[in-house]
Amino acid sequence: MIVDKIHTENMFLYYSTKMALNNISIKIPEKKVTAFIGPSGCGKSTFLRSLNRMNDLIDGVKIEGKVMIDTINIYDKNIDVVNLRKKVGMVFQKSNPFAKSIFENIAYGPRINGINDKNQLDEIVETALKNAAIWDEVKDRLGDSALGLSGGQQQRLCIARTLAVNPEIVLMDEPASALDPLSTSKIEELIVQLKEQYTIVIVTHNMQQAARISDHTAFFYLGELIEYDKTRTIFTNPNKKQTEDYITGRFG
Amino acid sequence: MENYRIFDSELDRLAHKVIQMCSQVNLQIVDVVYALNTIDSSLAKKVIANDEYINHLDVKIDKLCQKIFALQQPVASDLRYIISALKINNDLERIGDHAVSIAKRIEPLQDYSQMVTELGIDKIGEKTKNLFADVVELVKTHNLDYGDQIIQKAAEIKDECKKISSTVLVEMMQQSEVVVVAANILIIANLFERISGYSTNIEESISFVVNGEIVKHKKHSDNINE
Repeated sequence: MIVDKIHTENMFLYYSTKMALNNISIKIPEKKVTAFIGPSGCGKSTFLRSLNRMNDLIDGVKIEGKVMIDTINIYDKNIDVVNLRKKVGMVFQKSNPFAKSIFENIAYGPRINGINDKNQLDEIVETALKNAAIWDEVKDRLGDSALGLSGGQQQRLCIARTLAVNPEIVLMDEPASALDPLSTSKIEELIVQLKEQYTIVIVTHNMQQAARISDHTAFFYLGELIEYDKTRTIFTNPNKKQTEDYITGRFG
Repeated sequence: MENYRIFDSELDRLAHKVIQMCSQVNLQIVDVVYALNTIDSSLAKKVIANDEYINHLDVKIDKLCQKIFALQQPVASDLRYIISALKINNDLERIGDHAVSIAKRIEPLQDYSQMVTELGIDKIGEKTKNLFADVVELVKTHNLDYGDQIIQKAAEIKDECKKISSTVLVEMMQQSEVVVVAANILIIANLFERISGYSTNIEESISFVVNGEIVKHKKHSDNINE
């Protein structure tokens, strides 16, 4: 049975007085890959960031409506944002490893969460690196600086770092847009594997990437959710003309 | 804001080639029907010779579709159109082959023109010609009203063929000297019936382009397929 992991209802987001998201209602299923597509400035990244309250860091942001994860409205006053971000991890366009060793990059999060036992940390690091499909490439040099890894490896390391704190949802904001085709393909394979354990939401400008890896696709335009359906339907027979025009490259 | 796409010129080229193929096959049908009605062997030979050009177009369209798939990664209506263009091309090529098969059977009918008329095979030819004119319009315009006409006419052709088959079988039993020519006429009737069948495939392909739904094996099962 498909369970909705994320559920927004009549959600509006304003940057001061400017409306950036207009009445978004969407149900994102658990342990599936959901892709957000749309031209620059359409609100897809803003919406992604609102799913773990990253927009809280920006002055003047105001959110109305419900943003539910499981049964909890994450904008309720008593929500612990640190815990929320542990549950809802995020990977960015540009890989951002800490200037530390590969091991320390992964162990950092669990340590902050109070895990100091060496054996336990070893196990967490190994599992996270294995789940991010980079273990074989780095297992013999865990003490080396993470900055010495290639761009693609750094990105998988960042995914491993996100997985190390045991999230339920992983948000990805164009995670492969700065990578070469081979590294992109590794990230894409990884995303498909990760959905067995995690709910993945990905923003991408690469339409073929959305088509290849996602189960559902949402098309955003001018702050509105124009169409949301199975990826197969969006890419073979979309319902709305705007979606059709965008994915076939007729506008945007 | 609409973008100009390089892709559009490729799609226009493909659409143009498919219409060209369709018009060429239409000419073959018009000629073969006329050749049959008038038992004109030289026109029949022309039909046989013209098939080479249709085969040439068939390969061109296949290559163009292949190129678009590889280089443009089409989606949505573009994807549906190219999938359909490949199928329509295939169906048109088969229809062209059937026109040739009919043409090859015209010469042996030299002394039996009366039998052609009596059995009504000329009428089936005319109906097929008529049906294919709708196919040309459908491929050009994507107006599904033509599709409805095609389905109806294909059903009528199928019925006529059944009738002819029974009549021809009776003739064959009663007059052994006409067995060979009657068998020939029977085959021609079946070839026309196949042409109408392929025409309904084309109707299904265009319907897929327009509506995005696969209708084959569903929509016309009552009156076309048994």
